[in-house]
Amino acid sequence: MIDVARIDHWAANGSSPLHRASVAAKLLFLLAVVSAAVTAREPLPLAGGYLLLIVLAAAGGLPWFSIALLSLYAAVFALLYAVSLQGGAWVFALVLLKAITPAYAVGVVIVSTPYPRIFAVLSAVLPEIVAAGLFMTYRTFFILLDMMDNFSTAIRLRGGLTPGNIVRNGGNIARGLAALLVKAVERASRLYAVMSVRGYSGSMADRGAGGWGRNDVLPVAVGAAVLALTVLWRR
Amino acid sequence: MTHMHIPDGILPFWLWMGGYAVLAAVLALCLFRLRGMDRRKKIPLLGALSAVMLVAMNLEVFPIAYHLNLSVAAGILLGPSLGFVAALIVNVILALIGHGGITVVGLNTLLLGAEAFFGHALFHLLPASLSVFWRGAVATVVSLLLVSLLLIAIVGASHAEVQAFLHEHAEHGEGGQGGDAPASASLATFAVIVLSLGAIGWAIEAAVTGAVIRFISRVKPDLLAHVLHASRAGRGA
Repeated sequence: MIDVARIDHWAANGSSPLHRASVAAKLLFLLAVVSAAVTAREPLPLAGGYLLLIVLAAAGGLPWFSIALLSLYAAVFALLYAVSLQGGAWVFALVLLKAITPAYAVGVVIVSTPYPRIFAVLSAVLPEIVAAGLFMTYRTFFILLDMMDNFSTAIRLRGGLTPGNIVRNGGNIARGLAALLVKAVERASRLYAVMSVRGYSGSMADRGAGGWGRNDVLPVAVGAAVLALTVLWRR
Repeated sequence: MTHMHIPDGILPFWLWMGGYAVLAAVLALCLFRLRGMDRRKKIPLLGALSAVMLVAMNLEVFPIAYHLNLSVAAGILLGPSLGFVAALIVNVILALIGHGGITVVGLNTLLLGAEAFFGHALFHLLPASLSVFWRGAVATVVSLLLVSLLLIAIVGASHAEVQAFLHEHAEHGEGGQGGDAPASASLATFAVIVLSLGAIGWAIEAAVTGAVIRFISRVKPDLLAHVLHASRAGRGA
């Protein structure tokens, strides 16, 4: 289970050089690492890139180990895909590293950038309905996470989970999800009404990617280094 | 597991770029259908449904590593156009938390959006004599089966190129055994894994979706009406 609330906490409360870098620089860094994974045809340069990202996260004071665990989540389906290719250890290594290297870069970006700042940049290029939906989803998601905690406590206290009775437990969980959905719609409607009263008209206040500064050098340089590693290795 | 958790850099360029191209075309069509939508009602509903899908995707069914999607429920409640937008939002956020690659957002949105579309269509095509629960459950199973076949087709399309690449490396003696196995055999392995594990997941998803839709039909039946335009009541999505 991905702990989105913890990621949000790291992103909002950190003060590392990566937190101070602009969103544009970090997106450029992400683009470079994804391009490296797309173009890589050998596992070794990607392994080097992965290590470089760990060093970047550790040096930047980010939770490097938690990001590594997060990146391993991407490995599960990659391994299934690798099995389907029946290609041996070399294929496993390549597919695995193609999965976890960009996943680590995504981790670095999301634990150092609050989602509203990422959405603000995305909303400049996305259609208005999608941008508004992204923002409402983000807000409602955290309200729902709180409600989920209360729900799981309530369902246990009221005997809603009986060991061994899968059908009854499943039914109670489904009804709980449905109740959550109804409450989420009510909360989201209220939130949207309040935002509309305060002048919200579908766009975010901070639409810019921020100006460039010296803190941007680190992510851009590391992204370029990872990409250079995979490109130069092929020659 | 009807959307791909395939990370970046695995699928061939033409495939994921094609996914983005088709996504752009379908999204344009959806946005055209959504013009003049009652935003005051529909944007919060879109946000709530997308958030519930994300919460459901965090509930993993042990030990088959299946997670609920609720994309069919989203399709039934939001309609196909808004359901597709919800699929895009969910996939963008999933990519931002490392759950699937950034390059496959296009293909994943098409798969999840197709679930919403099939779910909505089947729910309304099934006879009203069936209970809401069973309409929701059957629509879910059929939608997930269809989209799983689409997923296998996409992976199959990617295999030809990937196998050729592996074969090239095997010839250069780089340690891999790639290319030795016929692509059809390896795709069959993938299909067996996806369909066998998926079938268990579809049953769970169908039960949950059916129960969710039944609960909503009793507690808040207006959500099932999914009327897009306040001034054009009665016209569906």
